Amino acid sequence: MGVRSFLKEEIIVFDGAMGTVLQDRGLKIGNLPELLNINSPEMIVEIHREYIDAGARILTANTFGANEIKLKDTGFTVEEIVNAGIENAKKAIGEGEAFIALDIGPIGELLEPMGILAFDEAYEIFKRQIVQGEESGADLILIETMTDLYEAKAAILAAKENSNLPVFCTMSFEQNMRTFTGCSVDSMVMVLQGLGVDALGVNCSLGPRELEPIINRILEISKVPVIVQPNAGLPGIRDGATLYDFSPEEFGYYGYKFVKKGAGVIGGCCGTNANHIRSLVRNIKEIETQESTYSPIIGVCTPTKTVFIDGIKVIGERINPTGKKTLKEALKSGDMDYILKEAIQQVEAGADILDVNVGLPGIDEEETMVRVIKEIQSILDVPLQIDSNDPRVIESGLRAYNGKAIVNSVSGEDKSLDDILPIVKKYGAAVVGLTLDEKGIPAEAEGRFKIAEKIVSRAREYGIAKEDIYIDCLTLTVAAQQEAVKETVKALRLVKDKLGVKTVLGVSNISFGLPNRALLNRTFLTAGLTAGLDLPIVNPMAKDMMDTIKAFRVLWSEDIGANEYLKTYNIQKAENQISQQESHENLFDIVVRGMKEEARGATSKLIQQKEPLKIIDEDIVPALDLVGEQYENGTIFLPQLIQSAETVKESFQVIREYLGKSSSLQLSKGKIVLATVKGDIHDIGKNIVKVLLESYGFDVIDLGKDVAVDRVVDEAIKNKVKLVGLSALMTTTVKSMEETIKALKVAYPSCKVMVGGAVLTQEYAEMICADFYAKDAQGAVAIAKQVLG
Amino acid sequence: MNNLSIDKREVLRYLGYRDQDIDSRINLLIDEGIDEIRVLVKPRYIYKLFDIDRDNEKIYLEQCTLELEGKGIARHLKNAQSCILMAVTLGNDIDTKIRYYETIDMTKALIMDACATAAVEEISDNLCHKIEKKLRHQGKKLTYRYSPGYEDLSLDIQREFISVLRADRAIGLNVSSHSILIPRKSITAIAGVIDKSQFTRQRDCLNCSKFSHCEFRKECDICGR
Repeated sequence: MGVRSFLKEEIIVFDGAMGTVLQDRGLKIGNLPELLNINSPEMIVEIHREYIDAGARILTANTFGANEIKLKDTGFTVEEIVNAGIENAKKAIGEGEAFIALDIGPIGELLEPMGILAFDEAYEIFKRQIVQGEESGADLILIETMTDLYEAKAAILAAKENSNLPVFCTMSFEQNMRTFTGCSVDSMVMVLQGLGVDALGVNCSLGPRELEPIINRILEISKVPVIVQPNAGLPGIRDGATLYDFSPEEFGYYGYKFVKKGAGVIGGCCGTNANHIRSLVRNIKEIETQESTYSPIIGVCTPTKTVFIDGIKVIGERINPTGKKTLKEALKSGDMDYILKEAIQQVEAGADILDVNVGLPGIDEEETMVRVIKEIQSILDVPLQIDSNDPRVIESGLRAYNGKAIVNSVSGEDKSLDDILPIVKKYGAAVVGLTLDEKGIPAEAEGRFKIAEKIVSRAREYGIAKEDIYIDCLTLTVAAQQEAVKETVKALRLVKDKLGVKTVLGVSNISFGLPNRALLNRTFLTAGLTAGLDLPIVNPMAKDMMDTIKAFRVLWSEDIGANEYLKTYNIQKAENQISQQESHENLFDIVVRGMKEEARGATSKLIQQKEPLKIIDEDIVPALDLVGEQYENGTIFLPQLIQSAETVKESFQVIREYLGKSSSLQLSKGKIVLATVKGDIHDIGKNIVKVLLESYGFDVIDLGKDVAVDRVVDEAIKNKVKLVGLSALMTTTVKSMEETIKALKVAYPSCKVMVGGAVLTQEYAEMICADFYAKDAQGAVAIAKQVLG
Repeated sequence: MNNLSIDKREVLRYLGYRDQDIDSRINLLIDEGIDEIRVLVKPRYIYKLFDIDRDNEKIYLEQCTLELEGKGIARHLKNAQSCILMAVTLGNDIDTKIRYYETIDMTKALIMDACATAAVEEISDNLCHKIEKKLRHQGKKLTYRYSPGYEDLSLDIQREFISVLRADRAIGLNVSSHSILIPRKSITAIAGVIDKSQFTRQRDCLNCSKFSHCEFRKECDICGR
């Protein structure tokens, strides 16, 4: 009998700890327990045997940390250690009956965006362990003690794509029901079951008592069997040794409790030994397996945020280049700051989910989609809707996305359904179904309903749950097809009533070609909401749309007691009163005093009276020079300098917008490439330099942090820059800086390099062959002026 | 331990402040930054006590694989028979928040970064006080905190340091391939356990690797630590 059928029929008992048992037997702290698979196999076999004797049905091979990062410099390969680990388990089992789990723990380095290990690198690291594990004869893969959902995803994908073994996955939580990286219980369950694990749950970090609320929540919502592997209580220190406070009897009692509640797999983690497992087996003997009574979460998530679709939720539409010139430019030039600001503004305005569409001729849509998703997820916790027609783009987007996303979209066409639904299923996403097919959009509501029916039934065949299908009945422009508007609303009601799925609708298309579009948009929105629209796709910056939704939520009893409504509109009243005080400062003073919010208004006003270039020469530059001087002589300090620089950036934006309309005048003083070198993640210093350089009119091509040598060289050549600025904060990454400079000097000798960062000095800079050492941001400006003249 | 005060003077020091006039906008940003950090921070720490063996400039910790090598650490632990290894982190939320502000408001980002540095230092100090309280009845006290990267103690021991404390599993503190601690606002440090009667040196600027170009030392004798 395989593990999968065993899981259906019986409560599975895992073994207990390996690491803490080894420490009890003299393993030095800091030594890798996995090396004992080869150096002292008899000890490992003995521990396995004790667990079998205690009644464990699955042995966890001693391979938790057997990855290439942890084994580096040990003289052993991943393959050797994994193989020896599995062999030891086999030996312990002998003629007996037990399964062997290939144990996979966290890599030990944090993945992007928190750390610098790339998702794909993590995948490859796990793949090596998994391929060897299956070859050596493991019966299942246990991915455990994860704290980063993204890392768990890399491991699960590596397991599912490179083996046929069942996959169990557990994460470790703190008492606040979050992992160290902030992942919530709900997000874990949604994502892991979406990725198709055979069982999921919790292990380590807490004892049974503290785990109880976490286990309760998992059992409430999980569609797949639940694993529980607690520590033997909480650790305490006595006479320098770590001790856990749960006796085997207590441990067994809690095991009974968890199995009774519905846990299907149970075992122990740190501090447990064979006695705990024996007590567990004794306690749960009489309990029969039971049907799970979960109620699934309807919604989407990122690791730290779950959006429950239990009412109206807003999808922000603005990251879509159609008809948006500035966004097109930003996508072409890779200006992530612009895109991130669009994302931030929408979230601030109340969007619950953001649609991301980067389809634009002349750019690599797949690569851009991945980059935009990763950048947004590095600063915001809002769930995303991946918007593309290209299955490759969708798959790469879903792979890079951390959480449960929405795919926008699939249509009723067979080809679309068969191309996209398997991807949606594989990554556990939700999907938008458009009610159109090869014959176009049916004019009548009934026709659209039929397509919706087809999409739902096909998605179900592919194993996608009904609650993960959102139907879009399609908005047509009222100016072109006036009669069609009613059909959309009617179809929406049909879908909602008869199919019982969630509905989504892009609203703004309704008003093309007519004046006062906002009025038509919000009236149509109200009609849609009344018919049962759950997910309006709107521009959250359009205040009247958001107002309409807020009002509707009060009228439809979603906003109970009008709490949200009151909160919003009471505050706004106060804000309106404040903003009425107008300022009369001139631009020079505004820059010197760093009054960022006033810069736009003052510049717009000034531009009516003065040539833009004169504004720069007569107001902005003198103000900046004064501020720079004050900083140099110590009358102001860094935050004040940066505040002034940011104020200038606001002014520049107004001037650029103005010039963009009227002439081809060039504002730029030249391009500069900036990067924080490979391996370094501290880029606040580089970002300060960037703001200041930009305030002086330089165009900064910001490559970000942890930038590979080749990328710096390529971008410098591609953009024909005369100056590259490199930053490194640690002695350990100055080496990368040196390598980058060397490569630049070979490939592009005419380019100058300036360096900066906490550990650098003039001498150090000379030693690594930099042309300039910038002691601070103001110094970098002086160098830029000198080089770019 | 969890009640952070965050000393505004410390925040200002990290921002390079030297008695300039602080305008009301910056002042407000700092006050807001301190409040925001106090809500965001979920301090986590771990420490362990080790007996020490010595061999010239090498220090061995009993029952553990980590070796400490360097003139500085040897001098630092000269009078100690045992030492504490400690690790403190503010967690990932702070890093994300600072990245967020770097996108929309660099001034705010800079201030938040300084507040976070002040916070992680304060938590480390509080942890030392807490440990000292426990040591007091044995007639012992701690030397100041000494971190990898000080003087000639290599940053490359970070990986083993983390692994010895199991800080990755215990408090979510990791180290990158270039020996950088992640989350970024984290501290690892060593403090010697010495007799109460012994003289404790303060951190000494002359021995500091940044002595020649320290920004903090510019206008007074010491960096303020």
